[in-house]
Amino acid sequence: MQVALQYQLQNLGWAFATVIFIIVGSLAVAYVAKTVARWRGSTPATQRRAFWGFLFASPWIIGFVIFVLGPSLTSLYYSFTNYKLGSAIEWNGIDNYRQFILGEGAYGRRFKQAMFNSFYYAVVGVPLQIIAALGMAILLNQKIRGIRIFRLIFYTPVILAGGPAILLAWRYMLNANGGFINTAMQSLAQKFFLFDWLYRGFIFGMEAFNGLYAGLSRGDPIGPFKYAIPSLLAVLALATLAGSDWTPGKRERAIRIVEILAVTIGLILFANGIVAEPVDPLWIVAGGLLTGGMALAYTLRGRAKAARNVAIGGIVLAGVVLAGVLLHPSTEEASFDVTPYLLALAAAAAPLALSLFLPLQRRWVLAVGLGLLVVILAVAIVPQQFGGTRWQLPLRYLTLQTALEQPDSTDYLTAVYPVETPSAFWFYGALAAVLVGAMWLGTRHERARRWLVNGALVIFGLLLIGSTLDGIRYFNAFDQIAAATGSPNYHFSLFRSAISTIPDNTRVPLWLTSELWSKPALILITMWSSGASMLIFLAALKGVPQSLYEAAEVDGANRLQKFFKITLPMISPAMFYNIVIGLIAALQTFETVYILQTPNTVDSVRSAAFFLYERTFREQAIGQGASLSWILAVIIVVLTVMQFRYSRWVHYEV
Amino acid sequence: MDVARRYSQDKPVAVNVPRWRSPVWQHLRTALIYAVLLAASAFFLFPMAWMGGTSLKTIEEVGQPQLNLLPMSPQWQNYAKLFQEEQFYRAYANSIFVTAVVLFGTVTSISLVAFSFARLEWPGKRIVFALMLSTLMLPAQATLVPQYVLFFNLGWIRTFNPITIPGFFAGGAALVFLLRQFMMGIPKELDEAAMIDGANPLQIWWHIIMPLSRPAIATVTVFLFVGQWNNLINPLLYLQKAELYTMPIYVAQKHNLQESPIPWNDIMAASVLFVIPVLVVFLLTQRYFIEGITLTGTKG
Repeated sequence: MQVALQYQLQNLGWAFATVIFIIVGSLAVAYVAKTVARWRGSTPATQRRAFWGFLFASPWIIGFVIFVLGPSLTSLYYSFTNYKLGSAIEWNGIDNYRQFILGEGAYGRRFKQAMFNSFYYAVVGVPLQIIAALGMAILLNQKIRGIRIFRLIFYTPVILAGGPAILLAWRYMLNANGGFINTAMQSLAQKFFLFDWLYRGFIFGMEAFNGLYAGLSRGDPIGPFKYAIPSLLAVLALATLAGSDWTPGKRERAIRIVEILAVTIGLILFANGIVAEPVDPLWIVAGGLLTGGMALAYTLRGRAKAARNVAIGGIVLAGVVLAGVLLHPSTEEASFDVTPYLLALAAAAAPLALSLFLPLQRRWVLAVGLGLLVVILAVAIVPQQFGGTRWQLPLRYLTLQTALEQPDSTDYLTAVYPVETPSAFWFYGALAAVLVGAMWLGTRHERARRWLVNGALVIFGLLLIGSTLDGIRYFNAFDQIAAATGSPNYHFSLFRSAISTIPDNTRVPLWLTSELWSKPALILITMWSSGASMLIFLAALKGVPQSLYEAAEVDGANRLQKFFKITLPMISPAMFYNIVIGLIAALQTFETVYILQTPNTVDSVRSAAFFLYERTFREQAIGQGASLSWILAVIIVVLTVMQFRYSRWVHYEV
Repeated sequence: MDVARRYSQDKPVAVNVPRWRSPVWQHLRTALIYAVLLAASAFFLFPMAWMGGTSLKTIEEVGQPQLNLLPMSPQWQNYAKLFQEEQFYRAYANSIFVTAVVLFGTVTSISLVAFSFARLEWPGKRIVFALMLSTLMLPAQATLVPQYVLFFNLGWIRTFNPITIPGFFAGGAALVFLLRQFMMGIPKELDEAAMIDGANPLQIWWHIIMPLSRPAIATVTVFLFVGQWNNLINPLLYLQKAELYTMPIYVAQKHNLQESPIPWNDIMAASVLFVIPVLVVFLLTQRYFIEGITLTGTKG
C-alpha cells in the first residue's frame, strides 16, 4: 500500500508540473501568435483575439506536437530500422514493410494470419453484427410500452465489453467441456425433440462450413485468398465482360468498376508469383489467365485500346515475375528446376502477346487460345511432368506423414495433404471452363451472357461443394491419425463419425479450444455487444418519414416490400457507416483477443492490433512495430476516407 | 395520411383493411414483440447474471457442468476473501486514482479547447480545427508505438504518468468535437453582454459557458469514465509492476492458466466488484450516453 501511495503522489507531482508546463507553454504560444498577428499588420483587436484564441487552444496544439506529430515522425524513421529498445538503431530500409506486405518469414506469416483473421471477422462477423443490430433496432422502433428499458438493456453490453471482466465471464461460459453454453444446448437438445433437430442442424451447418473453410484453405489459414477469391474474381471479371454492352447508365458504370477491379486483381496475382516461397507458377498462370483472358476478350469485342493496356500491364508484370524467379535464393540451389516457371510464364504471356500482335481474326484467336489453355492446364494440373518442384511443400507445413510421427503436435491446422488437393483442381476447372465458355460463346448476345453467368455460378458452386468435401476428408484423415496413434483429437472431434451420418447430439462445439470454433466464438461476443450500431440504426429508422410508408400502403405494398424498398434505402447511410466502423473494429479488436486466446488458438484469433501488441511490446521490436502501426494506420485512414467520400453513393435524399 | 383519407372518401369500399390491422391480430403482434424483446434481453443480460451467480459458488460447484444460475448456498466468503487481499485493495485504489486524475485533466483541458473553437474568433482557427478533426481518423494503434518510445525515453515506464499525463493535453478529438457542438448552441448574446461588462474570455469560460454546458460535460465525463475504467491496453503496456496494477489488469491476471482448477468463483467475484461502478454510473447517466452516441456516432 505504501509503495502504491508513493507512486500516486509522484504522479500527482508530475500532473502539477504538467499543468504549469501547459500554462507557460500556452502563454508562450499565444504570445507568439499575437506577435505574428502584429507583424502581419493586424488591428489591436485581432491581435487580442489571436492571443486568447491560441491561449485556449494551446493545450491541444502542444499535446498534438508532443504526443502525435513528433512521435509519428520518429516512428516513421523507426519503421525503416530494426530498432529494439535499449540497443543501437540500424537502418534496414524497407525490409520491415516488405516482410509484412509480402508475408515473408515467421513474422510476415504471423501478420498475414492476423490480417486473414481480421478479414474473416469482417466478412463473416460484420454482416452478422449488422443483422443483429438492425434486428434489435427494428424491434425497438415499435410503438409499445417500455421500449426505453429494453433499449437500456440492449445497450448495456457495450459499456462492459471493453473491459476484461465480462469477457472472462464469456470465457467461462464458452468452456467447451462443462461451460454453460454447451451444457445448456446439450440438455435442451436431450429434452426437447424440436430443439434436438435444431441443434443437430446447427452442428451440421457449422461442420460443413468449417469443412468448406479448411478445404478452401487447403489447411493454409490464408488459403482462401489464394484459391477461392481469385476464382470468384475470375468469374466476376468474365461475367462483367460478358455483360459490358448493356445499356449505358448506372449499371454500365458499376460494371466498369468491377472490370477495373478484376484487371487490377489479375495483375496483383501476377505479382504474387514472387510472394510465394518458392516462387509459385500457380500465381503466374492464374494472373496470366485472368489478364490474358481479359485482353483477348477485349480484342474480340473490338476494344483494341483496352486490350493493349491490359496486355502491356500483364507483360510488364510477367517480366517482374521472371526477374523474381531468377533472383530468388532458391534458384541458386542445384536441384532447382526453372523449367516449370518458364513454361508457366510462357503460357501466361502467350494470350497477352496474341491479343497484341495477331490480326484480329476471331476464329483464329479462338483456336490458338484453346490450344494454349490445354497447355496451361497441363502445366498446372500435371505438375509431376515438370519435376514436381511446384508441389514441394514448404517445410513449415506438417504432412499426414509428419503428423503421424508427431501425434502431439498442435500444428494440425497448418498441415496440408502431402500431394495436390482437389480444391486447387476445382479452381483450375472453374477458371478454365469459364474462359472456354467466354471464348466459345462470344460475349455479345444476351442469351450467351446469361448462359455464361449461370454456368460460372454453377461452377463456383461446384468449387464450394468440392472444397467442402475436401475439407471433410481432410478432417477425417486427421481423425484417423488420432485414432491410430491413440492420441485425443482435440481439434476435430466434431468429425469423429462420418459426415454422412446426421450429427450426434452428444457432440459439442469446441469454442475457444479449437481453431475452427474460436473465431465464431469471438463473433458471437461481438454480436452480443453490437448495441452502439443498434443506436445508430435506431436513430436512422426514426428519421424515415412516415408519409413514405403511408403512400406505399395506398399502393398496396406489403411489409417485406416496404422494408426492402423504403426502409433499407432510407437507412443506407447508417448501414454504410456501421459497416465501415465494423471493418475498422475488426482490425482493432484487442481486448477480446487478449482475454479469449488460448495457447493453442492464439494463431486463429489474433487480430492485427493484437499482433502489433505482441510484436512491439512483448517482443520489444520497436522498428517492426512502427512499420506495422503505419500499415494499419494507412488501411484505417483509407477506410475512413472512403466512408466520408463514397457515402455520397448511398441514398441520402427523400 | 391525407392521401389515404382522400382516397377512402372517393371509394369508401375499395380500401380493405389488412387482416393484421384487426384488434386481435394487433394484440397478438404486440405479445409476439414482447416475447422477442424479452428473449433478446435474456441473451444480453445473461453473462452479467452468470457472473454474479458464479461469484457466489464454491470451487467444486464451479468446476462441474451445471445449468443453475444461483449457487446451492451463497458463498459470501468469496468476497470476504477478496477484501482481505492487499493486491485487490491496491488495484482498486489505483484504478480510482488513475481515473480521477484522467477525468480531471481531460475534462478541464477539453472544455478549454472546445471553448476556443466554439466561442472565440481567431486567425488560424479553421486550420487548427481541421487539423484536430483529421486526428479523428488516426487509429489509436498508430500512435501507440511512438508514444511508447517517447515514454520509455522519458523514463516513465512503470509509473502512472503515461496513463494520466496525456489527458491534460485535451486528448480525444471526438470529445472536443462533441463539446464544441454543444457550446455552439449557447446564445452568443451572453458572451457579448459579458464582454461589454469587461469580462475576459477566461471569465466568460468559467462563469457563463461552463455552467451552461453542464449536460455536455456530463456526457463527456461518463464516456471518459467508462473508457478509462475499462482501459486494459495502456495499463498493460506501462504499469508493468504489481504495485501499479489497475483493476483491469488485476482481473485479467487473476485468470492464469497455471492454476488448476481455475478459481472461476474468485475471478467472477473480482469481476463483479470491478463492473459495479461502471454499471451504476451507466444506469444513472444512460440518457447522456445514448444522446452522445447518436450525436457523434462514436463508442466513446
